[in-house]
Amino acid sequence: MPSPGQDLLAHTVRGVDHAAFPTFDPQATITFYRDVLGFPVVHATCALGWGPGDHPDFIHFFFDIGGGDRLAFFYYFGVEPYRDTGIPDLLHRARHLAIHVDTEEDLLEYRRRLDASDWPCELQVRHEAVESIYVTDPNGYLMEIARPLRAITAEDDIDANLSVDALMEVTAEPDPSLEKFFARKAKLISERYAGEPESVTFV
Amino acid sequence: MTTLFVLSVDDFRPLAEVAGKDPDVTVRRRGPYLEVVAPGSIRIDRDAAGCRNAVWYSAVAAVKDGRVSRWDKSELVVEPTGAEG
Repeated sequence: MPSPGQDLLAHTVRGVDHAAFPTFDPQATITFYRDVLGFPVVHATCALGWGPGDHPDFIHFFFDIGGGDRLAFFYYFGVEPYRDTGIPDLLHRARHLAIHVDTEEDLLEYRRRLDASDWPCELQVRHEAVESIYVTDPNGYLMEIARPLRAITAEDDIDANLSVDALMEVTAEPDPSLEKFFARKAKLISERYAGEPESVTFV
Repeated sequence: MTTLFVLSVDDFRPLAEVAGKDPDVTVRRRGPYLEVVAPGSIRIDRDAAGCRNAVWYSAVAAVKDGRVSRWDKSELVVEPTGAEG
């Protein structure tokens, strides 16, 4: 259910043009994405003296991740490798890129490619609406490949919008909790669908 | 009345069906949700609902006049509380 703001805003974006990350190991990165996973290289910008003074020269290279979308990396010449070593596991797991495949067969094929490489699949899990495989790429970035387990319906969209409305409300107040969230969402549901509910029988 | 809402999609409908086997529980449709209502606690056995892990732990859409007091690998229990806004 669109919020009042969404009614006024035309939705004309068309997916990911590119998502970009720094790399300090282009050899492993290209091996992993191009040679292990089979993502074609589709573009590379070679910049001499284009960047700021501390890293003027860089290569910006792109992999095709399907659907016209691209995954890109920056390699900066002469810059000491840096990696977040103190990043909490919660943040490491939360920040990730999930790439879509349509079928279980495709998912298992990517798992096979990973398992035959130096970067084997770390986890395969059936979530609520998708089944996913996970791997940490050579740069330490968590990557997911996911296939749908069921169609997302209009009911899911309504529920998602009520969820974010309830989340907005409880996080605007002190001490947000899941319990408060469930109660607030129930109130929003009751208000939106006021009136006598239909009885339900299961056969 | 203790009220549990689950979204009426194939994944979550079994929870309402299992809860509704208790004669004190009423299940009705409210918009895209199944509204599970009871004067006391609502108890749902996971094995009876037949949900895999991720479906089980994402099944609660909302709770009114109650609180989730147990939600582990074997059972979901929603206990009554006072009315809450």
